[in-house]
Amino acid sequence: MNALLEGAVRAVPLLVPVAQTFGMACAGMLVALVAGIPLAVAVATRAPGYRFIATALGALRAIPDLTLAILAVVVIGLGPAAGIAALAVFYTAMIGKVFGELLLAAPSAPVDALKATGAGRVSIAAFGLIPLTSRDLLSFGAYAFDCAVRASVIVGAVGAGGLGTELVGAINALDYRRAALLILILVVMVAVVDAFGSLIRRYPRATLALIPIGLLTLWVDRPQFFAFGHALTTFAKMLPPQLNGAELSALPLLLLQTAAIAVFGTALGASIGFFTALIAARTIVPFAVVAVTRRLLDTARAIPEVVWGLILVVSVGIGPIAGILALGFHSAGVLGKLYAESFENVVKEPVASIAATGASTVSTIAYAIVPLAFGPLAIHTLFRLEWNVRAAAVVGMIGAGGIGQALFNAQQLFFYKTMVAYVLITWAIVLAFDILTERLRGRELMT
Amino acid sequence: MISLRDVVVRYPGAARPALDGVNLEVAAGETVALVGPSGSGKTTLLRTINGLVPISAGSVLVDGIAVGELRGRALRGLRTRLAMIAQHHDLVDRLSVHQNVMAGALGRWSTAHALRYLVFPLESELDEARAALERVSIPEKLWAPTRELSGGERQRVAIARALVQQPEAILADEPVASLDPRLGTQIIGLLCRLTRESGIALICSLHQVQFAQDYFDRVVLVERGSLCEVESKQPVT
Repeated sequence: MNALLEGAVRAVPLLVPVAQTFGMACAGMLVALVAGIPLAVAVATRAPGYRFIATALGALRAIPDLTLAILAVVVIGLGPAAGIAALAVFYTAMIGKVFGELLLAAPSAPVDALKATGAGRVSIAAFGLIPLTSRDLLSFGAYAFDCAVRASVIVGAVGAGGLGTELVGAINALDYRRAALLILILVVMVAVVDAFGSLIRRYPRATLALIPIGLLTLWVDRPQFFAFGHALTTFAKMLPPQLNGAELSALPLLLLQTAAIAVFGTALGASIGFFTALIAARTIVPFAVVAVTRRLLDTARAIPEVVWGLILVVSVGIGPIAGILALGFHSAGVLGKLYAESFENVVKEPVASIAATGASTVSTIAYAIVPLAFGPLAIHTLFRLEWNVRAAAVVGMIGAGGIGQALFNAQQLFFYKTMVAYVLITWAIVLAFDILTERLRGRELMT
Repeated sequence: MISLRDVVVRYPGAARPALDGVNLEVAAGETVALVGPSGSGKTTLLRTINGLVPISAGSVLVDGIAVGELRGRALRGLRTRLAMIAQHHDLVDRLSVHQNVMAGALGRWSTAHALRYLVFPLESELDEARAALERVSIPEKLWAPTRELSGGERQRVAIARALVQQPEAILADEPVASLDPRLGTQIIGLLCRLTRESGIALICSLHQVQFAQDYFDRVVLVERGSLCEVESKQPVT
């Protein structure tokens, strides 16, 4: 009881960083929706310049959120305003690209009928594209908000305020009880946001709650000492990007480390996620087992890669192993949930036919459920690999090695030209992986 | 061999029972056609015999064993004796034809054996799959990807899988509903011939009354969950 009370007392001062983190996510998301939806409509309605917009959104999305946060902290200064700016840019790109693709997937007949009336692009979007895809838009929007809350912790880790800054402080001060409390708060926050996401799917008007919270945060967290001239000077100091001879020769190893963290982290996450998903699917095991396994997966998912990284760097030491484990544990949470849903969604008839031969549960899983779910499983895994290339750069910044660590060190030492060179290299490898996985996904969808 | 006594099946929330006091006796090696409109209870009847649907009242006996009282391993043991063929969608497209065919052996294989077969099939096991495919006249499809099969070929593979199961009865749920009449005739003829040759009982639900009258020993009319009429026929084949 005393411990509980002590915990509660310790938690009270954390209300401010919790509010900051939640506010950053709301404000970033509000800006992203306001900017991203018109861009998505422009892409979907093939407005003039839509190819350029689509390419720009894809390119912008390839910059990891933490990298954006570092740039924002350098230009705007420490504090939540930098976090909001980073989240706003990252999620504008994400909303613009994914909403654009979802709008493009709308059934063509009703859209053609609207075009035949002579309606303009905005009318076609308002009366056709958006209502026709509202379910998918809401579903993805809720997922993006869920990610934004985790990302607001991540951007906090480089000085953008909120729980992330508190967490890094606690771990650096070796105060693990405080760090554990912060992680617990984060898990609860993500669970609340998850519930809010379900609410949005049922009552889309709940999205309107973002407006007052987002506007209030934007006002409260506005940059206090922002000077346009200073920002421009800082930007000027970043150009041209530059790497010296030693940095250039170390580059292949850094790239290899980052790629290894992403690939092995995804493989670890996929392996743990696969076996956990089998005992998290309602169609395979009883509900009581599902309830326990799903909560475990939710917890693994609620802790962002960077937080896993901070914990693991302390326990297994600095280096790529910590990065691989960090990505693996978080990915296990994400993939476990998605795999379990894929197992639940397979066509029932072949499963019933295999079970009707008297096959054991494991044989039925091996001969029916897994082969039938293989397509979605492969697509989820490739999406995760794409995401983990960004995350590998991010966990690198907290000591897991690779290009992320080099980038973070450059920022800490104010070597801005080197930092920007690493930002561009990170962007290029993420973009290359995006293109590769997009092609592989396309091939999987074709089969 | 199969005996249904006053069987009642009631789905939760349904206004009327799916099966309402059904009585049916099927002897070993006998072929029985169930005919009736959609939603009359034919599929439920077949699934009840296989223990896939819980019985609300009455009993289903297979060689004197009450299906409704079996659970877990015992129920799986019984299912190995009753093969099922569905209308469509019951093959796994990502597996090859031989893997789908040998899935019929899963009831008699250990789990380790089943997993090993997916990766390293033995020649003797492939011979068994080939022999089953020869009986349904498509041995050349042994290694073919299942997704490339035509509708008729898929049903032949489903029959081959049922034969590999070495069952005492086959429960076929509208196996030719998605095929054209000419192909449907071939498949029903093949199914009846193979089951008679092997002494396997066949209970088959059908929409086509003509098929039922032409090929089956007995025709049973299912209507609103009851067996309204039972008539014996001399098979033409």
